[in-house]
Amino acid sequence: MGNFMELVRNENMKIYSRLRTWIMMGIMLVIMLAASIVVLLLDEGVKSMWTVLNSEVFSGTMLVTIFTVIIAADSVAGEFSSGTIKLLLIRPWSRSKILLSKYISVIQFAIFFLAVLFVWTYIWNGLFFGFSSGSLQELTNESSTGSVWSFVLSGLGLQFISMMLTTVTISFLLSTVFRSGGLSIGLSLFLMFMSDTIAGLMSLIDKPWKDYFWFMQSNLTQYLSNGPDVTHEHTIYFSLGILLVYYVVFLAITWWQFMRRDITS
Amino acid sequence: MSEPIVQLSNVTKRIGNRTIIDHLTLDLHPGEVYGFLGPNGSGKTTTIRMMVGLMKLTEGEITIKGHSITDSFEKAIRQVGAIVENPEMYKYLSGYKNLVHYARMVPGITRQRIDEVVKLVGLQGRIHDKVKTYSLGMRQRLGVAQAIMHKPSLLILDEPTNGLDPVGIRELRDYLRHLAKSEGITVFVSSHLLSEMELMCDRVAIIQHGKLIDERVISQDGPAKDAVSRYRFEVDRPSEALELLAQHSAVVTQEGIELDTDRETAAWINAQLVSAGLKVYGFRPHVKSLEEQFLEVTGGETVG
Ligand SMILES: Nc1ncnc2c1ncn2[C@@H]1O[C@H](COP(=O)(O)OP(=O)(O)OP(=O)(O)O)[C@@H](O)[C@H]1O
Ligand SMILES: [Mg+2]
Repeated sequence: MGNFMELVRNENMKIYSRLRTWIMMGIMLVIMLAASIVVLLLDEGVKSMWTVLNSEVFSGTMLVTIFTVIIAADSVAGEFSSGTIKLLLIRPWSRSKILLSKYISVIQFAIFFLAVLFVWTYIWNGLFFGFSSGSLQELTNESSTGSVWSFVLSGLGLQFISMMLTTVTISFLLSTVFRSGGLSIGLSLFLMFMSDTIAGLMSLIDKPWKDYFWFMQSNLTQYLSNGPDVTHEHTIYFSLGILLVYYVVFLAITWWQFMRRDITS
Repeated sequence: MSEPIVQLSNVTKRIGNRTIIDHLTLDLHPGEVYGFLGPNGSGKTTTIRMMVGLMKLTEGEITIKGHSITDSFEKAIRQVGAIVENPEMYKYLSGYKNLVHYARMVPGITRQRIDEVVKLVGLQGRIHDKVKTYSLGMRQRLGVAQAIMHKPSLLILDEPTNGLDPVGIRELRDYLRHLAKSEGITVFVSSHLLSEMELMCDRVAIIQHGKLIDERVISQDGPAKDAVSRYRFEVDRPSEALELLAQHSAVVTQEGIELDTDRETAAWINAQLVSAGLKVYGFRPHVKSLEEQFLEVTGGETVG
C-alpha cells in the first residue's frame, strides 16, 4: 500500500519541529565545548586530543541517552496526552507499523545526536590540542596496538547498543504501557542510574543466576580492553545474548500493549 | 434502495460489566446524511470509536464497503475520514504541516489537493500559522480538512458544529449536503444540536443508554400535501367550535381548538366555522420539531 518511510518521515518531522529538540542539541554542544575549554585552561599534561575526546564521548553518550529517553517517552505518550493518537490511528496503516515508525525515529534520533557529538568533539579537541592520529597507549594502559579510531568508535557503538537494548527501549515500553511521558522518563532514567549500584550489590551474591539480570550485562565497553592480562567473567556474546533476550521481551510487551488497547483518550 | 455502504450489526460494547452500547444495528446508504442523536453519555462517541477501529467490539460486526473494520482494518479505514470528539492536532506544527502529515499516510494526495481543501474550509489566510494560535472553530475547520482530504466514501463527524460560528455552521451544512448529493459520500454526524440535524440530515437515529430507540426519515421538502398533522384553530368561542366539530375529536386549548386532519379538510373546517358565525383568527398545521420528538422519545432525560 503506502510507503512506510513516509511514516518515519512524519515522526521525524514531529521530533525536529519542536524547539525542545534543538535545545537539547544546544545543551550537548555547549557542555562538550565547555569541557574541552576547561581541560585546555587547567590541564597542561594532555597527551593528545584523543584522551579528551574519548572521555567526552563517553560522558556525552550518557547525555544522549537521557535525551533519547525523553524523545522515546514522548513519542507514544505524547500522542495520547494531546489526543492526536486518534487521528493518527485512523489511517490505512496497522498499529504495529505506526509503532515501528516511531521506534525507528527514536533510533535515528540517537544515531544523529551521537554523530553530532563525535564530530563536534573531534573538531574542537583537534583545534585545541592539535589534530593527530594518536596511539592506543594514551587511552588504555595495556600495550595493545591498533587504531585509535576503531577503539573510540567501537566504544561509542557498544554504548549505543547497550543504551538501545535497555534504557531507551524500557522508556519506549513504559511510555506505551502507562501513556505517561513523565513516568516513563523518570522510571527508565532511575533504572539506568541505579543499574551500576544494583549490579554492584548483585555481584556480592554468590549464585549463578545473578548473571541473567540485564544490569549485570549492560556494560559492554568493558570488553574493549582485552590484553593478555585482562580477564572477563563472560564473553561479549554472552552479555549481548542476555541483553537481547530482555530486548525481545520488552518489545513484545510494547507491541502487544499498543495493538490490543482501546483508544479512549 | 441501494446496497448499504456501512453496516453495523448487533454492535455491543461492554467495559467491565457496564454495557455502553447494546446490540446496535444500523445501515447507512451511499449519499445520505445520517444524523446520530442522543443525550450526553448515550454512547455516540463510543459508537464512532468502534466504527473507526479505535475501540474493539465486544460483540457484533461493522463493515464499511464490505470490509470488516476488525478483520481488514486497513481496507475498511481507507474509505473513512473522521473527526472523533475534538479535532486535536499537533499544536507545535502549522495547520499546513498537520495536513501534510496526514497526507503522507495515504498515497496519492497531491499538494494541489491540500491547497484545495484548505480553500474549501476557508483557512487559507492562517494555514501556515502554528495550530496553537488557532481558535476552536479554526481547529474544527482543520479537522474537517484532514477528514475529507483523501476523498473518503464515508465521512464520520462527531459533533462537528461544536465551536463553529453561525456562518461556519451554515457553510459546513451546505458543504456536507453537497458532498452527499453530488459526490455520493455518506456522511455520519453525531450531535445534540437537534435543529441542526433537522436542516442537514436525510435520516436520524436516536440512541439512549446505548440502545437505538428510534430511526426516522427527515423530509427536506416539508411534509407531503395529504399528510395528516395537528391543526390549531384560533377561534373566539372554542366550546361552540368543539360542538360543531363533534365528529373530529377536537380538543380545547388556550388559544382555541386542536385536531388531527389534513390540509383540504382543514380548509373545509375553517369554512364551516366561519359560516357558523365564529371568528377564526387563524389556523395552521403544527409540525413537531425534531427537538420535541427527541424530548418525547428520550423522556426529556438529560444524561443517559
Ligand atoms: N473508557 C471508558 N470506561 C468506562 N466507561 C466509559 C468509557 N468511555 C465512555 N464511557 C461511558 O460510556 C458512555 C457513553 O459515552 P460516550 O462518550 O460514547 O457518550 P456520548 O454520547 O458521546 O456523549 P456526549 O454527548 O457527552 O459526547 C458514558 O456513560 C461513559 O461514561
Ligand atoms: Mg461524545
